[in-house]
Amino acid sequence: MAVAITDALPPKRRSKSAEAKRYGFFPGCVAKESCTELFNSTLLLADKLGIELVELTAASCCGASVLNDVNRDVARVLNARTYAQAEALGLDDVITICSTCTGHMRAANKELLEDESRMEQANGILGKFNTSYKGTVSVRHLLWMLIDDIGLDELSKMVVNPLKGLKVAPFYGCHIIRPESVNGWESARNPHSLEDLITALGGEPVDYAGKTRCCGFHVQLEKDGIAANMVGQNMRIAKDAGAEAVLTPCPLCHLALDGYQADSAARWGRTDLPTFHLPQLVALALGVDATRLGLKRHVISPGPVLQAHDLAPMHVA
Amino acid sequence: MGKITLDLFRYDQAVDDEPHRERIDIDFPETSTVLDALEYAKAEVDGSISFRRSCRSAICGSCSMNINGTTGLACKTPIRDVLRADNSVKIDPMPNFEPMKDMVVHMDPFWDKYARLKPYLQPADKDEDHERERRVSPEDMKKLVAVANCVMCATCYALCPVVSVDPSFAGPAAIAYAYRFIEDTRDSKQAERVAQISDDYLWLCAHCYACSYCPKHVDPQDRIIDTKRRSIALGQTDAPGPRHALVVAKTIKQTGMLAENEVIAGTIGRFNFKGLLKVMPLGLRMASKGKIPPLFMHPVQKVEEIRTIFESMEVPVA
Repeated sequence: MAVAITDALPPKRRSKSAEAKRYGFFPGCVAKESCTELFNSTLLLADKLGIELVELTAASCCGASVLNDVNRDVARVLNARTYAQAEALGLDDVITICSTCTGHMRAANKELLEDESRMEQANGILGKFNTSYKGTVSVRHLLWMLIDDIGLDELSKMVVNPLKGLKVAPFYGCHIIRPESVNGWESARNPHSLEDLITALGGEPVDYAGKTRCCGFHVQLEKDGIAANMVGQNMRIAKDAGAEAVLTPCPLCHLALDGYQADSAARWGRTDLPTFHLPQLVALALGVDATRLGLKRHVISPGPVLQAHDLAPMHVA
Repeated sequence: MGKITLDLFRYDQAVDDEPHRERIDIDFPETSTVLDALEYAKAEVDGSISFRRSCRSAICGSCSMNINGTTGLACKTPIRDVLRADNSVKIDPMPNFEPMKDMVVHMDPFWDKYARLKPYLQPADKDEDHERERRVSPEDMKKLVAVANCVMCATCYALCPVVSVDPSFAGPAAIAYAYRFIEDTRDSKQAERVAQISDDYLWLCAHCYACSYCPKHVDPQDRIIDTKRRSIALGQTDAPGPRHALVVAKTIKQTGMLAENEVIAGTIGRFNFKGLLKVMPLGLRMASKGKIPPLFMHPVQKVEEIRTIFESMEVPVA
């Protein structure tokens, strides 16, 4: 299928951070709270790849797509403060490990860089505590960094524990692809970076209609059953297409997919697909000790499928 | 010219029990649109192929359909952008609608939700002077132009994942239109309109941005956010959606972080025991694996800067 949009994208530049293998790191709230396995496996993967992730420890929440509902400008100013911290450390890339952080931080950055009045507004407020944002930061997801800066060929050479025969359904999470005007790293309608990565790790990507759909995380508390149904709908299609596991770059998707499949079974049938965080599966293939990846912290244990494919013994999950 | 296969959804609700697929081969230039190809097939191969169309230039909003799994206007979709490896294009009716005949669907639920909004101006002085011109400043008009471009093609409604599991959701276009009247300085029914759209589950929007594929750049997702903000400003805060937004703001202001535990309790309502009981099974499933967010959030470094930002901008919090 021809994908016209990606053809028109500007060539990808190599950042100072990529040259120095030293990146600003924005873990986001969920990786520091309920999904600490994501935070830990990201650091283990970085170690394996020989790159330094400098955590922005004074950073605030990105706004999580919710803060816009109370004020149009506050998330942008909070994110400008985060970028200023990266600049102060001499870092021009901020690496995220959450689709929602990626989309909302990029949207804020785009507004700051494209609209002088918004940059002035932000710096006016940051000035109250002697901070300013110069506009030199790019927000990039770990997935993009792996593909652009390390490279799929290089990654596949580093694989010591290939995911041989493991059928993995990619689940992108909305905010890493949409809106395309904000993300634009790949086609939003037909992304394939996760498939490419799964292939490079020796696994088999599963093609299914749900991969770019929504997990329902953001409306799980607004009305009973909505998120569970959205999860069930997508996991049913994935399972029917032959998937044995799911891979997602977003911890919000992970929480919904991992948590709600038990509730969605009544309407959509049992699916029980274990849902890996992006760095967990990459680290596993690159030979990081599976017991350190927090695989026991999943509601749906990945143990059986890992054991069936000889990737890790049952007891690690 | 090249050989192109149209892989079509065929169904006539009046006679067929089940839909079936039909593959039609045509000689047709790839530079044309999907609608051109359908019109050619209807004229030259099978006159019974049914689809809605009128203007052929993305103004009438009639020809939205599902093309290779994503929905959009057939008249605005070049064939070469969607041609699959075997030179075929798969065409289906819009999802989230009941099919009537081939690509023609029953649009009634979409129109019903629009009609509920009373989509016409209701000025306060409507009975006083019918001849008087009611002027809007260019500044105020700016808020309305995006929605004024809506051609009601229902692409957003067909793409909406919430509609697909809960047809009671108003859907993106209806909320965008509600916003268009709520923000119109000539209208006098702001409070009633906000209350009505809140009842139609304004807050069920999943923030997925599927409606950012709008072919007319109405950006319904941004209009939904604008409408939520307006509803909070007008005091519509006693529902899980607005409580969620306000408690998220509160925890970020206090700690710099979105404190998961407090947000869950604050959204459901701390004393809503029935509601809290409902999330217990999931909570226990997660807790049994050690997925327990910290009960007390340690503030991030220099949290006072974050509080300064919230206070300078007078951000409402729970």
